[in-house]
Amino acid sequence: MAYEQVSVKTPLGLRVLPFASLLLFLGTWQAVIDFGVVPNTMLASPTQVFKLFLVKLTDPNPDGAVLIRHAWTSVQEAFTGYILALLVGIPLGLLMGWFVVVEGLARPIFELIRPIPPIAWIPLTIFWFGIGITGKVFIIWVAGIVPCVINSFVGVRMTNPTLIQMARTYGASDWQIFRQICIPSALPMVFGALQIALAYCWTNLVGAELLAADNGLGYLITMGRRLALPDMVVLGMIMVGLTGVVIGVIIDYVEKRLLAGIRR
Amino acid sequence: MNVVGVEHQDKIVCQNISKVFIQKGNQRVHVLEDINLSVKENEFVVILGPGQSGKSTLLRIIAGLETPTSGKAILDGVEVAGPGPDRGLVFQSYMLFPWKTVMGNVELGPKLRGIRKKERREIASHYINLVGLDGFENHYPHQLSGGMKQRVGIARAYANNPELMLLDEPFGQLDAQTRYFMEKETARIWEAEKRTVLFVTNNIDEAIYLGARIISLQGKLPGRMHRVYEVDLPRPREHTDMKFLELRHEITEASELTL
Amino acid sequence: MAKPIRSIANEVQMQVKEKRPFTILTVLKNRWFLYTVSITAFFLLWDTVAYRRVFGGGLARPQEVITQLGKMMVDTMAGKSLMGHVWASTHRILIGFSLASIVAVPLGLMMALNRYVNAFVRPVFDLLKPMPPIAWISIAILWFGIGEESKVFIIVVGTFVPCLLNAFNGVRLIEPQLYDVVRMLGGNRRDEIIQVCFPAAFPAIFAGLQISLSIAWTCVLAAELVSSRSGLGFIIIQGMTLSKPAQIIGGMLLIAVAAWGMSLLVSGLEKFLCPWKREVMSQ
Repeated sequence: MAYEQVSVKTPLGLRVLPFASLLLFLGTWQAVIDFGVVPNTMLASPTQVFKLFLVKLTDPNPDGAVLIRHAWTSVQEAFTGYILALLVGIPLGLLMGWFVVVEGLARPIFELIRPIPPIAWIPLTIFWFGIGITGKVFIIWVAGIVPCVINSFVGVRMTNPTLIQMARTYGASDWQIFRQICIPSALPMVFGALQIALAYCWTNLVGAELLAADNGLGYLITMGRRLALPDMVVLGMIMVGLTGVVIGVIIDYVEKRLLAGIRR
Repeated sequence: MNVVGVEHQDKIVCQNISKVFIQKGNQRVHVLEDINLSVKENEFVVILGPGQSGKSTLLRIIAGLETPTSGKAILDGVEVAGPGPDRGLVFQSYMLFPWKTVMGNVELGPKLRGIRKKERREIASHYINLVGLDGFENHYPHQLSGGMKQRVGIARAYANNPELMLLDEPFGQLDAQTRYFMEKETARIWEAEKRTVLFVTNNIDEAIYLGARIISLQGKLPGRMHRVYEVDLPRPREHTDMKFLELRHEITEASELTL
Repeated sequence: MAKPIRSIANEVQMQVKEKRPFTILTVLKNRWFLYTVSITAFFLLWDTVAYRRVFGGGLARPQEVITQLGKMMVDTMAGKSLMGHVWASTHRILIGFSLASIVAVPLGLMMALNRYVNAFVRPVFDLLKPMPPIAWISIAILWFGIGEESKVFIIVVGTFVPCLLNAFNGVRLIEPQLYDVVRMLGGNRRDEIIQVCFPAAFPAIFAGLQISLSIAWTCVLAAELVSSRSGLGFIIIQGMTLSKPAQIIGGMLLIAVAAWGMSLLVSGLEKFLCPWKREVMSQ
């Protein structure tokens, strides 16, 4: 028989190493505070952060809200901006990829906006909208639009020219080719954009909250600094990372579930 | 370590070579079974077989890049223990370093062995000339056509002055006409600088054109020795020669029986 | 009309352009015409919105921005000329990026080459990766105060991840047979790394460079917006505190130009250092 079953083992060292590494990391972190190597005014130990986490689950002091509330505000803002960015950016990018008129009109503006880091808009939005949700959503929207447009544009541009030529021999119109060939062809790139745009949106949300907010995880971090509470700062940072990961997982799940049929 | 039972003029001997691969997914793939062959000094031997017959694996075992599950490959009386500059390998997909020029690629072997710049430039130039690429020393691989890239591959293998040249379906990625041209070139280069050659291919015409002896493997896994053909035709050979066509017919018939 | 372009060895490729009838439609559909229309319309819209104070004085008119830019090129702000501020931001990025890549690139290469290094570093890396670099600003200020160090630190944190990932992937995606080539030519493990890994990882690292740069600009900006006395972010903040929207917008445009310019430089550097094609790993 040419094929047989056999098992290949990963060496024990390789399997233990990740856990050892994490333990070492957490241990060093804790030790550095406990033994006074780093003053407690600059950094909080893992246990302190965890204690604060438990406290903040129910206690709204001293920053004005419970942990979940902060997280929820951040998620809301990020999500609104993200969805709006998808709704505008993806169709725009797709159309730009195919129709010269759309590209001609939209491109210069896009190329002008693109190099400006979304954070740079913050002072302007404070001027326009004050320190509220609108300003932040605007920034997140600007942040998310860029990868959506770029990916959709490139996705359409990468359509196999042979397919297009084939459609033309059938007498298809520009619009038909766009709908039937370019869009499905661009879908993998578009799905790629979903995750990239989310990461951008989330990063910029944190930045926006750091500088101009009275609520949200970024605000929590800033308050921690202002009140010289490093455990709050670290808690905020970890929550930001964690929430980002969770949202990413959710988006991934939605993508796989609802769009399984369409995706190649 | 010298192995008993090997004739002196045998350059390469394969004794009872078998190879089983363990793939991810815990599957065993039995690729070669009981291969026994011997090659004499400066002999041009072709290993012929359709796709999936294990011939590339056999070549890689002789090159030292794979170890046989059982049996051994013996070069000059010494068992093959790993890859080395005494064997030159020409790859099917060229495997040129895209960041080096033609000269850079060809002189890499001597460079790795510590030969001084002036000397290795001379060696490399000689072989670049031999394969007909003089004038292209400073070109990058992406500027060359397929046939030219493969010629660089051949020059690179030659430049290390190996005892044995191994070619793994070197013309598989070329179009038919370039292929004919490269076959002629290979014969010419070999005549100019004789080496022991093991040439792997799936193309019967190519095998008869180039080989002094053709070893054919059967067409399904595990690969086993099928037949050995002596090619007695004078060089340079003609594809349309009567005896060429007779041999071609014979091999084709025999191969069909195993598929 | 066919014209030959770029001969590859003995092949010559022809490029054929059709002559199409010249109508109004060709003009309207011409790319450059549309670009011009678009830019003009944009500026007109901008001007109108600013003039009619749709944002209540929060938007400056284009000519105001230009005048402000002109003033900035001549005057000094907080003791530095405009170029001084641009250099302040730029050199923070350069220092931060260099520090990050000196550690990240070798680490990425080692992680790709050695399974144990990978198993050891990866968990901590994956733990720290999801935290956006901007989130580190507060703790950086706690540690380093509001001086140069905290800003450089943020840039280091921000550029570390893409540099490492790109070095890692650059090595991981190398065609395995290239290592065989080195072995067959008589090289050992060390030769494999020097002759194959480094040069092959180079283009990937450059790809990471562009991404790192745009992240770096965001980081430096955020750090400067929080607290600084020099840099392009400072220009914008000053515009805010002095209620000069023209300065804010001017600052934004300057950042766009600076980021774009740096990106161009990096592309040029890449073309110079890597004269072979980028996409292929072996030929």
